[in-house]
Amino acid sequence: MTSWARRRTPLLGPFGVRVLLWLLVELWILNVADLLLTRYSLAQGFATESNGVMDYFFRSGTVPTVGFKIGMVTLGTLLLWRLRRYRTALFAGILLTGVFAAVVAYQALWVLSF
Amino acid sequence: MPEPLTRDGAPPVPPRVAAPLGANAETARHTSEARAALFAALVLLVGIALGAAGFFVERGMSTWRPEITRTASGWRIAQAHRVPLSAMALGGDSLVWGSGPSIIAMDLRSGRLKLLGPGPASRATWDPATSRRYVVWFEAQGASAGEASAWVYDSATRRRRQLATLDSVLSLPSASGNLAAWCCTTKGEGAPSIVTVDIATGEESVVAPEYGEPVLDGGLVTWPTRTGATGMPAAWALVDLAQGRRWSLVPAATLLNAHFLGYDLSGRTLVWGQIDPASGRGRVVAQNVDDGAASVVAEVTDGAALSSAPAIDGALVVWAETLANAGGSRVMGRRLSGGPAFLVRAVEASVLSTAVSGDTVAWLAQRGKTTFIETTTVSR
Repeated sequence: MTSWARRRTPLLGPFGVRVLLWLLVELWILNVADLLLTRYSLAQGFATESNGVMDYFFRSGTVPTVGFKIGMVTLGTLLLWRLRRYRTALFAGILLTGVFAAVVAYQALWVLSF
Repeated sequence: MPEPLTRDGAPPVPPRVAAPLGANAETARHTSEARAALFAALVLLVGIALGAAGFFVERGMSTWRPEITRTASGWRIAQAHRVPLSAMALGGDSLVWGSGPSIIAMDLRSGRLKLLGPGPASRATWDPATSRRYVVWFEAQGASAGEASAWVYDSATRRRRQLATLDSVLSLPSASGNLAAWCCTTKGEGAPSIVTVDIATGEESVVAPEYGEPVLDGGLVTWPTRTGATGMPAAWALVDLAQGRRWSLVPAATLLNAHFLGYDLSGRTLVWGQIDPASGRGRVVAQNVDDGAASVVAEVTDGAALSSAPAIDGALVVWAETLANAGGSRVMGRRLSGGPAFLVRAVEASVLSTAVSGDTVAWLAQRGKTTFIETTTVSR
């Protein structure tokens, strides 16, 4: 890689790579939790899926839903892991994990409050 | 003569051998791993904190959550925001009411609240009805929407589900046991029908192809017919669902020119209330739907006024009276099995409606701009 390219896409050190690995593991687990909580809320009749794509899969059945949701996030985490040399991958991991954690925490409290 | 070790005579360079991993290197690797895990956990915690904060901010801004306090004999649920409480219903261990478009149920054993509706796609609801197990209500995108849907909440499974789709809502729902009844126009037809719906299966049956505001109890459906200017029905239509029999009942012991306040049904007994606006005189009457025998449950005179329609469950009839000095109201009860009327509770407010289920009595009252619901248990 040229020095110009290095300046544009800073590389990630070994510590950053380890953080990214942990974040991707968390992201994958949070995705499963999101799926379970959404499924539970829909089954209770207290929520509707606002994501049109996921709504289509939820209407199609459990297997397509699980396959799509787990598959997409698994592909995404593998892609980020493949790009682990770049610092941008770590930023993406931090952002995605933080947002997913917020969504799952909100959903869990919402379910518990009923 | 020994040979030189190197051709050019330079001293030999020892081969580079990597230093063996010592305890320090291993510790450093573990520390780095732990720090990475800690950083990732921190990201997780920040996300969780943001999600929880969003949840509690949203909950704090919600207008349906009232102030709940346990009293010596029941509960007090007071309006905590600008939206008044309304449409109270009592069934088994559930107290249900409306607050704006929200339908809220409270478990009378624990005081736990549950927001039943409206769903995310709806903005309007109508007064709910409750049986011991189910709560039934209507939802629509707007109060003037062409299409509404009937929803049910099952307290046994804690699930809410859509029960039916209605073209136009013509009455409030009524629920008893596993049945619900209402009047609506169905899709494609347009003529009003009084229907019953099996809540468990969703199976719909037409009771009568006509307009009416039905009340259901057990296997009996009734609705007023041919109401006059005072609102007092000239007759009640009655349908026994088990026997498939329909008949009419002419109200007895009525007050002349008195306004009709409303009615309720339990078993084979119909109760209703009337008030004469000129004299303030009020009357609560119970009438057997089979033989038509009527009895006056209460005469409200001497400046006091009947302020709400009576409610009945089993042999217990309850109603509310406004006191002569206008300083408050009293919720009264009387058992049809015998005995005089008794005071359930004196209330320093205007009682808007009463409800009874088993030995639990509830009333919705208003003082100033604040509405509240109170419950109590009456002794057998």
